[in-house]
Amino acid sequence: MEPNRKQDSNRLATFVWVLALILIWELGATLVAQTKRTPENVLPHLYQIVESVFSTKLVNGSQTAFQIVLANAGITLARAGIGFMLGAAIGFLLALLMNLMKTVEKIAFPYLMIIQMIPILGMAPIVLAVTKDIDKSRVIIAAILTFYPVATNTLAGFKAVPGEKLELMHVIAASKFEIYRKLLIPSCIPYFFTGLKVSAPMAITASILVDTLQGGGGLGTMLSQSLKHAMTIYVFWQIVFLSAIVGILSYHLMSVIEKLAAPHRWARKVKLDEPAQLDEPA
Amino acid sequence: MSVFKRSSRDAMAGGPAVVLDANEPEIKVEHVSVRFDGKKGAAPVVALQDVSLDIRQGEFISLVGPSGCGKTTLLRTIADLQQPSSGRITVRGQTPREIRLQKKYGIVFQNPVLYDWRTVRRNVCMPMELKGVPKKTRTATVTEMLELVGLYHFGKKYPHELSGGMQQRVGIARALAIKPEILLMDEPFSALDEFTKEKLNEDLLKIWNKTNKTILFVTHNISEAVFLSDRVVVLSPHPGRVSAIVDITLPRPRGLAIKNTPEFGALVAKVRNSFEGV
Repeated sequence: MEPNRKQDSNRLATFVWVLALILIWELGATLVAQTKRTPENVLPHLYQIVESVFSTKLVNGSQTAFQIVLANAGITLARAGIGFMLGAAIGFLLALLMNLMKTVEKIAFPYLMIIQMIPILGMAPIVLAVTKDIDKSRVIIAAILTFYPVATNTLAGFKAVPGEKLELMHVIAASKFEIYRKLLIPSCIPYFFTGLKVSAPMAITASILVDTLQGGGGLGTMLSQSLKHAMTIYVFWQIVFLSAIVGILSYHLMSVIEKLAAPHRWARKVKLDEPAQLDEPA
Repeated sequence: MSVFKRSSRDAMAGGPAVVLDANEPEIKVEHVSVRFDGKKGAAPVVALQDVSLDIRQGEFISLVGPSGCGKTTLLRTIADLQQPSSGRITVRGQTPREIRLQKKYGIVFQNPVLYDWRTVRRNVCMPMELKGVPKKTRTATVTEMLELVGLYHFGKKYPHELSGGMQQRVGIARALAIKPEILLMDEPFSALDEFTKEKLNEDLLKIWNKTNKTILFVTHNISEAVFLSDRVVVLSPHPGRVSAIVDITLPRPRGLAIKNTPEFGALVAKVRNSFEGV
């Protein structure tokens, strides 16, 4: 079975990569442990981080390190999620508008690119100053980062529809609405999801970064407090790993949703043979 | 995206059904020329020059010729995908546009142009959804069409699971599903291997026999055109023009064995000798 073998080799490659990363990390940690006075501030052993997750020691009087991380992750990730969904919806609608009207594309596209070029750290204080609310800022920044990849990918999807498919719709006299509903929107779904996969981890990163601007809680706040030694450094390490895992999971979540939305991508890739003869109708 | 420009007015079209006089040709092409503007300053390309042609109802007619002879352009002009620069096309007494808006055309391209997110059944169903056919009728028609093209057992498959020949059959079933008056086929089998092509040729004749459509078939394969057609229209390039119309007098129904007869060979030679300026 060809497809299975390919899947197996992919899994093997991932496994080797993870193993290599762990090996390099541990080598580094061993080296750091011998040379630095406080090795956990530079590179602790992986088991130390895992241990800190299960540690029952109260860090701030009422919560363990992991409880702090989880509580703050909730705030940050919820905002990232709202911003992501908002950005995805705006991005899709914008692509639709740009495809429907050439003038919208001409006017909007350069500005979209400019917005995208401003670093988040430059944009975030402005958004915060305007909204005066860290929660709204998180949502808005996550949305801004999300909508651009979604809009550009979806627009590319609309434009990638082959001319013959449009001509077929033309010959059978489909209306513009029907062409969008039956052809263009279903065709752009894989492109739309490519945009979502790019932007999902970005929305999370952005939300964490916005946290650091103000001490109102959230992963970013805890991250900087932990780095400033206001609490145990393991909060920092746990956040690093948690956000990495959530980022990867957000990407895979998009893949899963895509497969649910497009079941044909699950169908087997094996070609069937030409039937020997016409079935005679009964 | 030029395809969209006129769509907003589509809903208003329609028009009365025209009863055809038995002697009146179904499609009348009168002195049609198509010119494409060349790039900056270059001379315009003449794709078709003064082409006239009458096609009878129920006729199987092939357009053959080398690349650049305008055979596809002629089909596209009849399909209202291309406007003639001069001359006139009348289909059942109406313009190609009116006929198109009444959904009386079925079209099959060189590529199957299937929707990969729809199963075979739902692909065949698609044009009927646009036509507002009730669901019960749709289901029955899909079954009927898939039986016609020999793919009844493959209805739940997705296009990418099918071979090229099967995909093309789905395309034919889809084109026939809205019961068009005229089936336009633009090199439908040219991407297939010789064996599949011959098999589909034979099957197409059976389908034509059962459905009695007018079929306009574009190909660059002389043997295919002779095997299928009542008449073969030979087009020559630079500029695209009709250089001969060859009556195919072979008896029907035709099987592949007819290709071995001297009459078949003579007709193929006659078509081949009709080309000018190639």
